[in-house]
Amino acid sequence: MKQPIKLKVNGVVEEVLVEPWWSLAYVLREVLNLTGTKVSCDTGNCGACTVLVDGKAVKSCLLLAPKAKGKEIVTIEGLTGEDGGLHPLQEAFIEHFAVQCGFCTSGMILTAKALLDENPGATEEEVRASLSGNLCRCTGYVKIVEAVLAAEEKLN
Amino acid sequence: MTELSVVGKSVPRVDALIKVTGKAKYTYDAKVPGMLYAKVLRSPYPHAKIVSIDTSKAEQLPGVVCVATGKDAPEKRTGSATLDQPVLARDVVCAVGDPVAAVAAKSLDIAEEAIELIDVKYEELPAVLDPEDAVSTHPTAIVHPDLFNYEQGPFGHRRFDLDRPNVMMHYSIRQGDVEQGFKEADLVLENKFTTAMVQHCPLELSTTLATPEEDGSFTINASRSLHQPAKSVMRIVFGLEPSKLKFAMDYLGGGFGRGAVFEEPIAVLLAMKTGKPVKHVFTREEVFLRGGNRIPMIVYIKDGVKKDGTLIAREMTAILPSGPSEAFTGLVTRNCAFGAVGTYRLPNFKWDSYGVYINGPTTGGFRGLGSTQVEFAIEQHMDMLAEKLGIDPVKIRRKNILREGEANATGEITHSIGVEECLNKMAEFIKPEEKPEGEGVWRRGKGITVANKYTLAPAAGGGRVKVCADGSIALYHGAEEVGQGTDTVMAQIAAEEFGISVDRVKVQPKDTLNSPYAMGACSSQQTFIVGNGVKLACQDAKRNLFKRAAPRLGVSPDELETKEGEIYVKGMPDKKLRIPELFTGYAPGGYGSYTPDGEIIGNATYVQINTPDNLETGQIDPEAAAKGMRLNTSYAHSAKAVEVAVNTETGQVKVLRIGGADDMGQPINPKMCEQQQEGGIGMALGATLTEEFMLKEGIPLNPNFTDYRMASVNEIPTLDNIKVMSAPAPHKDGPYGAKGFAEGVMIGIDAAIANAVYNAVGVRIKDLPITPEKVLRALKEKN
Repeated sequence: MKQPIKLKVNGVVEEVLVEPWWSLAYVLREVLNLTGTKVSCDTGNCGACTVLVDGKAVKSCLLLAPKAKGKEIVTIEGLTGEDGGLHPLQEAFIEHFAVQCGFCTSGMILTAKALLDENPGATEEEVRASLSGNLCRCTGYVKIVEAVLAAEEKLN
Repeated sequence: MTELSVVGKSVPRVDALIKVTGKAKYTYDAKVPGMLYAKVLRSPYPHAKIVSIDTSKAEQLPGVVCVATGKDAPEKRTGSATLDQPVLARDVVCAVGDPVAAVAAKSLDIAEEAIELIDVKYEELPAVLDPEDAVSTHPTAIVHPDLFNYEQGPFGHRRFDLDRPNVMMHYSIRQGDVEQGFKEADLVLENKFTTAMVQHCPLELSTTLATPEEDGSFTINASRSLHQPAKSVMRIVFGLEPSKLKFAMDYLGGGFGRGAVFEEPIAVLLAMKTGKPVKHVFTREEVFLRGGNRIPMIVYIKDGVKKDGTLIAREMTAILPSGPSEAFTGLVTRNCAFGAVGTYRLPNFKWDSYGVYINGPTTGGFRGLGSTQVEFAIEQHMDMLAEKLGIDPVKIRRKNILREGEANATGEITHSIGVEECLNKMAEFIKPEEKPEGEGVWRRGKGITVANKYTLAPAAGGGRVKVCADGSIALYHGAEEVGQGTDTVMAQIAAEEFGISVDRVKVQPKDTLNSPYAMGACSSQQTFIVGNGVKLACQDAKRNLFKRAAPRLGVSPDELETKEGEIYVKGMPDKKLRIPELFTGYAPGGYGSYTPDGEIIGNATYVQINTPDNLETGQIDPEAAAKGMRLNTSYAHSAKAVEVAVNTETGQVKVLRIGGADDMGQPINPKMCEQQQEGGIGMALGATLTEEFMLKEGIPLNPNFTDYRMASVNEIPTLDNIKVMSAPAPHKDGPYGAKGFAEGVMIGIDAAIANAVYNAVGVRIKDLPITPEKVLRALKEKN
């Protein structure tokens, strides 16, 4: 039986009807058409579905949608810099060639965003630790780590 | 060569902005009105007879629009070199994962429920699972009893062996006399090496959206590479005219060779039956079962060398198991031999490779197309020979590498070979002569290897450009953007030719109808082949442009050049006009503008022909070779070096430092080349240390990202300890001297790690992946 829940997604309050077994990722993609959030493994291993839930990085394939009731959610579509343009992380991912196929990119950027919000002085080791639950098959992670460190410098 | 202004520069990727904002559209994201969702019921057995299928309960489930089984599917099979894969199984299933029934429903939830309601009764048959058993003259089971009558597919290679009923391809090379070579050798050494089944693990799940159009044609979006071959296969299976079939190309969430399998017919079948668009998304498990994994190859190698390290004879036999669908295994069976001939001088060489069916998951195309596995054996053997002869591992390689102008073991004349420079760079980086100190239970060691990767031929690819009224360029090309950055490469080439910046080039959406032909992302050929096609197309457009401008400037067309949107007389930069001036009524706010004598366009196709190899000997005609005819388009070369720490108590291997030097000819975009190099390292670290798709009696054990472990950032050395370099040997026929190299980046890393483990603790692991269990077992056996 579908039940109505309210979520705040990228600053907009959304009321959606959800089945109890639907994941937040499913609702974002299939109900709200926010396809910037990807699902790749559906087992919480790859991190492609990472979104911000009340500012924390959460693998949205593992969170049942009803559990996200009343939460504030930011997806890649809602991420902006202070001026409303690109966020410094997005800029750094472009400048430092941290993007290849792009399928992990949303999850990588949002995971890094949560890290830098919480720990603005994160070291390379801390950046690596925070990204260790996000898989990328293209880059070997080198330029992703470089981009996050560059964005951090820009933000500080 | 004139100085380059855009090519050779690390301009930002043209697809980066759309990807960091989440707006890039992948087939996985597709949603169209009225779309149905497909699910497939698959075989739980490696080999079984289908006794009965009852779909009645599924058909009655509300929301189910169509249930299809083998009797509803076309009689024609799909395939590459041999048409061996039924769209849906008819009487027999030949692997776990073979499709048995398919459902199209109004929601994914309903489709999943419907699949559960289909009742299939099977009768198990003996399965052939061991490649050595399968290749034999009396195998446990014959995967395709009618194989010798199977229809030839549209591409790839096949060659049957009447005594070996599971062999779909046998390839051989004969050069000189290996027996004589072994007699003359001071040392003869032989070994067996094996590799694991590796999944591409593209993050985008395999997806097909098949849309029936009003005129009876079909549009297919598919998360794949090799759209043109896929179109050929679809035409054959459904008997469709070419004009009735269009593959649209979306962004692809990772390629790595996944395009060698043909899984789209199920969605097309359901779309035909229902008249509705049908979307079929694989689960991760289905990607493992049907994705065309890297072939777990068995390689036998026997070498004869002189005391000074000169290789005088090499004999190799490779066995390449494929699932019941050959999916490029035949092609890999032939082409993996080039990994053995592309680097070293082999005066006497004997090669036999066998592509063989087993009742296992599909294998076939994977980044490296077989060279990786073959060179895993060779590059360990070079170290084993060096040690026995008391020669330095770098010196033995340097002594035997082919030189420019020298014939390789197929008779092909070597050109553009930067391997020695790569090797020198890696030797400088890792300093193999300095043995690192261990600490406690950790021992340290170093390893170094060289590698080559052929780019196949024949191949073709084109470009088409349109000069727009504002002087910008609309670029049409068919090279597939699988994440490697090909759109940026093509835009840079067009920008270079027109003397404009990359942002003035707009790469147009791609499909198999409107885009110029390109074979697809395969064998690292797009930069070379399509790059040349785009370059020629630009030159064609410039000829047309100059023809229009010449009368106005009062000169002949060949006196003109273009730069920054202006056409000027060579040597007289002030005598010029702006491209918009060639257009009538150029007024952006009005009805638009046009050129009265037709659009200013250019188009071209670049064709790389090859000269055929003799079926018995693998040799090409020496006269053709002398004239510059080749077997392959080009060869990329590289060297890799690592330092590892090995825990003598747990067997754990940690990669402390790693480097790769690659010869990609002229880099078109150096930072994007680094992306490939670093990405190759990441993929190779997983494939070397942790990745193995495991089966027990044909039943998959780990078809998911929880139990199958690709490298995370944890497995990658820190930024200071990973180093990529280039050593370009420009290719005379490549665009600006460029050649493809993005598969070679991972070749040789596995053997370098194996060599480093040996260097650290004195045990040699000849079977991938190099797990702690294997290292520990070897250490115990040694002591």
